Amino acid sequence: MNRRAFLKATGVALGAAALSGIPVRAQALEGEDLANLEKALKEALGKGFKDLTPSNLVKLTMPAIAESGANVPAEVEVNLPSAQVKAIHLFADKNPTPRLASFMPMKALPYYATRVRLAETSAIRAVVETADGKLLLASASTRVTVGGCG
Amino acid sequence: MAIRVIVRLTPAKPKAGEEFRLQAVAQHPNEPGTRRDERGNLVPAKYINLVEVYFEGEKVAEARPGPSTSANPLYGFKFKAEKPGTFTVRLKDTSGDTGEGTVKLELA
Repeated sequence: MNRRAFLKATGVALGAAALSGIPVRAQALEGEDLANLEKALKEALGKGFKDLTPSNLVKLTMPAIAESGANVPAEVEVNLPSAQVKAIHLFADKNPTPRLASFMPMKALPYYATRVRLAETSAIRAVVETADGKLLLASASTRVTVGGCG
Repeated sequence: MAIRVIVRLTPAKPKAGEEFRLQAVAQHPNEPGTRRDERGNLVPAKYINLVEVYFEGEKVAEARPGPSTSANPLYGFKFKAEKPGTFTVRLKDTSGDTGEGTVKLELA
């Protein structure tokens, strides 16, 4: 490739990217199913997805890839004093029953670990109910190669 | 039928004021009610839906797992070590079976 052709080609490519003006959006999670999640949120909390505030106080640790959906470790830790955390809930968007677990730290620290079943690749949500009625959210996504519900 | 529960602490002997983990592992199939056996019949749901942690007889934490918990599940909690005593973890499943495991907290 001579210099002129190269400049022409790259120039065109850069120009195209600038013109198309791709909007900068939050990365959509793999395995989102907001309709299914919404139902479970309403049932568990009486609130919907729009009432959740993403927060970096909530740390949700999930494996990126799970060999088997029958046994996936999940861990949530909340960076708040215990007294301020009323409950921690875990949801999986794609599960037939999205609510995985609820945890009430009474005298415990706001931390919960368990192992869950995932039907398929899904977005996982940790929803934290604070004492002052806020709902904090952390999301992760786990890719499942073999489902754990069939 | 009683559910077998094993409870352990990490570190085994925390210092006063130190955070430690309490882990309970139960022997339970935790059937979500969506799986089929080899004949294609649905396996009825039977899963642990209540986990209670007591310290010296006082309830200190509660978890309500849904149907999507794995078989032989683990439940992990964190506490701050204050005084020595006995932790009791009580489980109950949807068919009313219960299980109990205890562990002694000793301070280093």
